[in-house]
Amino acid sequence: MMQADKRNTGLKLALVCLALSMASGCVTSRIENAREMATGIADGESIVIMAKSYHLGNETEASYISCVEDALSRGRSGLSVIPHQQFVDSLFPWFEPRTAPAETKGLEELMERPGVAERIAEQGVRYIIWLDGDTDRVAGGGSLSCAAGPGGGGCFGFAWWQNDADYNASIWDLKGLDSAGTVSADYSGTSFLPALVVPIPLIARTKAAACKGLAEQLHAFIVSEPQV
Amino acid sequence: MAFIVTACGGTVRMDPPTIPTPLLSPLPLTVAVRYPANFGDFSHEEEVLGGEEWTIHLGRSNEVLFTELFGYMFEDVRILGPDDDPFTMDIDAYIEPSIDAFEFSVPNQTRTDSFAVWVRYRLKVWNSMGDQIANWPLAAYGKSQATVLGGSDALQRAAVLAMRDAAALMIDKMDRETGIGSTQRRRPPALDRSPATAADPETNLGNNLIEVRRNDAG
Repeated sequence: MMQADKRNTGLKLALVCLALSMASGCVTSRIENAREMATGIADGESIVIMAKSYHLGNETEASYISCVEDALSRGRSGLSVIPHQQFVDSLFPWFEPRTAPAETKGLEELMERPGVAERIAEQGVRYIIWLDGDTDRVAGGGSLSCAAGPGGGGCFGFAWWQNDADYNASIWDLKGLDSAGTVSADYSGTSFLPALVVPIPLIARTKAAACKGLAEQLHAFIVSEPQV
Repeated sequence: MAFIVTACGGTVRMDPPTIPTPLLSPLPLTVAVRYPANFGDFSHEEEVLGGEEWTIHLGRSNEVLFTELFGYMFEDVRILGPDDDPFTMDIDAYIEPSIDAFEFSVPNQTRTDSFAVWVRYRLKVWNSMGDQIANWPLAAYGKSQATVLGGSDALQRAAVLAMRDAAALMIDKMDRETGIGSTQRRRPPALDRSPATAADPETNLGNNLIEVRRNDAG
């Protein structure tokens, strides 16, 4: 009888572990856009994804910029994306954190600088997308402890944390030298770490989800309207 | 040239920072530049919050960067040795850069993922007559995230970005802030020397003089 109970308990534990390992943390999202003008992109035109200046307090992660670049350029309907560092270097020093225009009204003056308009035209850059925002841990709790001895070790307890990914993209049209609009993505994800001998992480990939969601919305924003 | 960061016994070396060819119209000036002794071999030591001791050795990074930058900004640049007298040379302006201060922060100080570097430079500028026309302090700032590059790499990257920031600031604002573009070549006839004469060993001029000329219009 006792052996049967032990077998049942072990089976239940294994099933719980399996179920937990197949699950993941939950992520909620909200994406909004505000269009100021019609958009469109022709063959031979490209886009650049840039982080707003850290001189202005922006904390957008380099990995997030790369993720959005990859997501926008992927697939058959992918856009032509100029790597941001290549673009910044080709226009040095006018897109450095200190010198890059903070508003579209600075674009006209920028285009009049020697060589700037030519370099942008050479690369076929139609849109600059400025990203700001970041992913932060906003809450967390629980208790988890681990111990090890001569006979083995294990962890017991439960921990959780919540990450918020808030990003905003401003789309500048270099053809019209004006703002085409903005897209914002607010994602919130809660991760769990239950431990019953073995810790089983249920990670909410909040930043990755925010990257994918924002890239999809940016793609739709740029290509869905008829060419202007 | 080496840039060395030492933290908890670790040492990191990096290649010298370079800047891309800038989009600018060079000023049609011949300038002489002299770097102070500490400019070519600058070190900074600091004990940060938590007791970590950091030593940052900039080596010749600044000297190399400024020489490259001035080479883009002016038609003709002459790097002077310690005994060269710029005011006996055929120049429009004389520039003396220096470092006033170097500071940095690490993530456990700011409770962020970022390393940051601030460098406060100073540029003193004289016209060809020997009158000081500018004393310009400029603060450069670079920031890099540790989560992507790792701690030492991120600090190096922040330092490179700070130096690149200084280069951008000088290209953008140096003429406006110092008035160097309006320096006139006014030399007494007796002091009108060609570069070849200036480098004559008998006059003891040009012992360490290096001439940097632009090859193209950038």
